Amino acid sequence: MVPMFAYVALAAFMFSVGACGVVFRKNPIVVFMCIELMLNSVNLAFLTFSRYAPWALAGGEARLPAHMGGQMMVIFVMAVAAAEVAVGLGIIMAIFRLRHEIDIDEMNLLSG
Amino acid sequence: MGEDSFNIIWYALFAPLAGFLMQALLGKAIVARLGEKRGKSVMGWLAVLPVAVSFAIGAMITYALAQGGTTADVVLTLFNWIDLQSIRIPFEVRIDTLSMTMMLIVTGVGALIHLYATGYMAEDRDYTRFFTYMNLFIFCMLTLVLANNLAMLFIGWEGVGLCSYLLIGFWYKDIANAKAANKAFIVNRIGDVGLTLAMFLLITTIVSSSSWIGSKDNRLLSYDVLFPAILTVMRDQPVIVTLVGLLLFIGACGKSAQFPLYFWLPDAMAGPTPVSALIHAATMVTAGVFLVNRLHVVYEMSPVASAVVACVGAFTALFAALIAFGQTDIKKVLAYSTVSQLGFMFIGCGAGAYWSGIFHVTTHAFFKALLFLGAGAVIHCMMHNQDLRNYGNLRKYMPITFVTMMIAYLAIAGVPGFAGFFSKEAILGGALGNEHAAAHLGQASGWLGLFVAMLTAFYMTRMTALTFFGKERWKDLPVVEHHGHHDHEHERHETHEAHEDPHGFFMTDEEMAAKREPEPQHHELGPDHVPHEAPPSMVFPLIVLGVLSLAGGYVLEHVWHLKEWLYPQGLDVLRGHAVAGHPEGIPLMALSIGAATLGIIAGLIVYRKGLPEKEGWDLNKWSPFRRWAGNQFGYDQAVVSMGVDGGGQVGNALWKGFDAGVIDGIVNGLGWLAMRLSKVYSLIQTGLVRGYALLMLMGVVAILCYIVYAVSTGGAL
Repeated sequence: MVPMFAYVALAAFMFSVGACGVVFRKNPIVVFMCIELMLNSVNLAFLTFSRYAPWALAGGEARLPAHMGGQMMVIFVMAVAAAEVAVGLGIIMAIFRLRHEIDIDEMNLLSG
Repeated sequence: MGEDSFNIIWYALFAPLAGFLMQALLGKAIVARLGEKRGKSVMGWLAVLPVAVSFAIGAMITYALAQGGTTADVVLTLFNWIDLQSIRIPFEVRIDTLSMTMMLIVTGVGALIHLYATGYMAEDRDYTRFFTYMNLFIFCMLTLVLANNLAMLFIGWEGVGLCSYLLIGFWYKDIANAKAANKAFIVNRIGDVGLTLAMFLLITTIVSSSSWIGSKDNRLLSYDVLFPAILTVMRDQPVIVTLVGLLLFIGACGKSAQFPLYFWLPDAMAGPTPVSALIHAATMVTAGVFLVNRLHVVYEMSPVASAVVACVGAFTALFAALIAFGQTDIKKVLAYSTVSQLGFMFIGCGAGAYWSGIFHVTTHAFFKALLFLGAGAVIHCMMHNQDLRNYGNLRKYMPITFVTMMIAYLAIAGVPGFAGFFSKEAILGGALGNEHAAAHLGQASGWLGLFVAMLTAFYMTRMTALTFFGKERWKDLPVVEHHGHHDHEHERHETHEAHEDPHGFFMTDEEMAAKREPEPQHHELGPDHVPHEAPPSMVFPLIVLGVLSLAGGYVLEHVWHLKEWLYPQGLDVLRGHAVAGHPEGIPLMALSIGAATLGIIAGLIVYRKGLPEKEGWDLNKWSPFRRWAGNQFGYDQAVVSMGVDGGGQVGNALWKGFDAGVIDGIVNGLGWLAMRLSKVYSLIQTGLVRGYALLMLMGVVAILCYIVYAVSTGGAL
């Protein structure tokens, strides 16, 4: 059986890659993809802990709410991510129509 | 007449209030309905009626009190006004000899003056407004004298101040009258501060004393509780008692026009003459003397406060008498003589002969009301010209006024047999014969008072001689009298006709003064003027007051025995060493008769040929001292410029220096600081979302590092 550490390490690696992508890439599409990567890493972590929880390993009667909590959360995250992508792409389209370019460094209207 | 029947006192108290409401709410309508002339006469009688009713009831109760010989004071309660756990203040009246004496003075003289005013004010547009104020004044004054606690006394105290303000400013279109009204009101407020502070000090001292704890009766300010409390609690606290006495005396100074605060009274002569007679001579100004008598327990226990009262009284008497020599306005002369006579009353009160103060209040109410009403009749018949220099030989034209005013003059001058002689004698006897006031100051005040009695005879001779004897000086006046400034006013008046500001909304004080419409009765006095006797409604009060001024003193002292009447059981503290009525070894009678004679003879010598050259129209021919005295020795100007201009300067300095500098500086500085700080912080706000994300990430990493570190070292989070 693959040890839990491998899953958690993979999730941490994916999260770091995603975070670096969000911070350093200039193309908003790529930034979005990186955000998805971070969300997926979180999903992986949820699933891992759900699977490797002590009561799940004991092989006894599965207690549904606790057992399924992590997996339920993954479904929620995926739904929210889908909605977020829809909104985000809409914003990007709107900005593109307005300014004809979508370089993130040019979007500094919040500057104080 | 049992105790229950004393309840009619409420009718006496509230009759003037009902009169006030009727005048205020229905007066205009009734005058409009019945027509100018009939309406006014109906409203005039309706104004006199409540006061006369009060007087009748007061006389009945006084009679019952004298018959029953009740030494116990009757206290009647109507309702609880303020009811707290620690203090209860009922709306209650006290029927005793002092309150009844004052009530008879107020309503008796008040009714006569109301009657007089129905004639005097007959031509005035605001006839009912005048009687509205007058009835309200009588109600407030009755509240003051009948009250059984200091809080109710204070209602009346403030109420008469208000009425005084309203009546001084009765002809409000003249800016000078409005200013005089303001002056009276503001100066009275200074005195009221003293009275309120005295009340607070009394309450706190009594409540915090050990002998008071456990007492059931929490009517702290009621006299029947307060006086025993003062006697027991303050016996070993001489400083507090003196302080209370001095604070009370500050209040008395404000209302009774004593030295530091006297200067509102002469200006108060701007009001109609009946007001001057009623408020500023006979009744309201005696409130201070009444207060000292009411709380005589405090002064009995404090020789120092008594000495201050006597000294201030003596000084005021001298000061005002000297000023009276420099006045040419007949009402101003009488005003200063009022201030001077009030000083006499305080000499008596300060020396411990409290009853003599009330005695002089009574006789003074008779003869000073008479003098003012007589002066009003003179002014009325001389086309509202008030200058003594225009009068002369009026005895030929107004015989009744002349005779009655002569009686009043002899009374105030202290000629034996007349009312003023007895009361002045009582005061001087009390002052010279007692050692109550500290450091022999009572006797010193008495000697000064004797000198002032001479001056009084002198300046009253001056006034009488210039008014009723000598040449008919108004016949020397130019045909149409015009003083320089009149022309000036006239010009200004005309320049404003073209101006589009008919109501004067944007005018300065001077322009308003220039704009004022002349009152219809203000004709100029010319050489062809023939004086005439006043109408009967004005003459009748003169005669009644004349009789009282003639016989009042003797009757009160030797028939009514005012001293035993007012203080049947003697005084509380000074009982041991009885208050002497006459000094040992001093021929007081001879001295006071001598003083009066000397004053009258001096006056006759100076004024036997009418107006002396050096008191005429040309002020440059006046002797410097008389000019200085006429100018109130510069006191009024100094105080007013110090109070008004100095206050303005202090206010300006506070405004520009403290408010605009410090307060605004702090507020604006805080705003400036916030702005600068936010400029610095806003450098972080690059607007780049990725930057924010990075910062957030770094924060998360830092927190995670801390958690890992804390967990790995086994410590708590």
